[in-house]
Amino acid sequence: MKREVGIVNYESAGNLYNIEKAIQAAGASVKLLEDESQFVDIARIVIPGVGSFANAMVELRENGLADGLRKAVLERGVPVLGICLGMQVLANIGFEHGETNGLSIINGEVRKIKCKGVIPHMGFNHIEMVNGESQLFKGIKKDDQFYFMHSYELCNYTDILALSQYVGHQFVSAIEKDNIYGVQFHPEKSRAAGLQVFTNFVNISG
Amino acid sequence: MRIIAKLDVKPPNVVKPVHFEGLRKIGSPAETALKFYEQGADEIVYMDIVSSLYRREILYDQIEKSAQDLFVPFSVGGGVRSIGDFVKLFRHGADKVIINTYAVQENPGIIDEAAKIFGSQAVVVNIEAKRARRANDTWTCYTDCGRIPSHKDVLAWVKEVEARGAGEIILQSVDHDGRQRGFDVELICQTVESVSIPVIAASGAGSMEHILEIAERAQPSAITLSSVLHYNTVTIQEVKNELARRDIEVKV
Repeated sequence: MKREVGIVNYESAGNLYNIEKAIQAAGASVKLLEDESQFVDIARIVIPGVGSFANAMVELRENGLADGLRKAVLERGVPVLGICLGMQVLANIGFEHGETNGLSIINGEVRKIKCKGVIPHMGFNHIEMVNGESQLFKGIKKDDQFYFMHSYELCNYTDILALSQYVGHQFVSAIEKDNIYGVQFHPEKSRAAGLQVFTNFVNISG
Repeated sequence: MRIIAKLDVKPPNVVKPVHFEGLRKIGSPAETALKFYEQGADEIVYMDIVSSLYRREILYDQIEKSAQDLFVPFSVGGGVRSIGDFVKLFRHGADKVIINTYAVQENPGIIDEAAKIFGSQAVVVNIEAKRARRANDTWTCYTDCGRIPSHKDVLAWVKEVEARGAGEIILQSVDHDGRQRGFDVELICQTVESVSIPVIAASGAGSMEHILEIAERAQPSAITLSSVLHYNTVTIQEVKNELARRDIEVKV
């Protein structure tokens, strides 16, 4: 039977259609998670992210999505993959359109990127793995590139899985902590390498 | 630097406008998008060039079909007039939404509102610039595919949309579009200098030389190509190889 991946469906989740078809291309079926009860028997969770931090948190708190997520991830150990803003909302606090509390699933703050380059950081870029092997990046090669589109970055020092460089500025491009994964880039927009990340996530053990 | 393929769509066809008019049919949006994706485009831009003009809602099934096999960003625009339109486009395959006419003519505040809900990175402002006849180096914003002039000065408007939260600018030239005689280099250079968000240079590529010239002189974040790709004058891979040879960073 196909593995089922739940996608957190909040209004500003953005490009849902493209997330769905990428997960399907990775061989899984998709279920949209729209209220707390739907988290109960889900085996994998993806938090999409095209949106802004403050708005996303308001929507996640409605319908008990935030509670459903926290219980599934922290109490039942369900593997979760946050994408872009979906990774950022895992943090404690965000500073996009004011100061907003996040889900506090991982430690960190979300701040505007400060560097000499044009912002948003938009385009394909490399990632450099800092902690050796990870199931999430199995089969990913050094010269693979991923698509980034973001003005804010996650500042985290304890769960870094990969770093990237943009105009001389280094930032966190992936995190991993137990069953919790996050990527700043958009695997659904990153050709074959991105689909490999989804396949890896679907097949993660533990 | 990103190389983006742009589809001008007059449903059910991709067309090639000259000066935004004189349409020539190229093929279906889905086939054309897939072809450029397979050629190595970093992104695909889809502009419905009639929906704004005729106040007709954009055709979502065309967008969904086009997005089906694309695993690179897909930006879609044409007749966007509300936050509801943004949501619908995201739900039908867009990763970024492009807006022009409504923001220029009626409500620039939609840029602020959209950026607040969807984040700046998903809000792209399309600019149709036309060089003013009497003055050197001033350009006016046009709407509805270069048909209707506004009172907005391009260099002032780009700063305004940046302040309002736009994440990116597609800079088209009414004078140069579809003519394949080169980009409006001055326009693009001055715009790139005026803002610190990504500027996508559009309109005018007719040869490899034109592309290299704009890449080196204006250093935009991205370049969109359409005629040169439709007529197989260059391929995306050739463009990227030439840019890489000149030490311009591209995803080859």
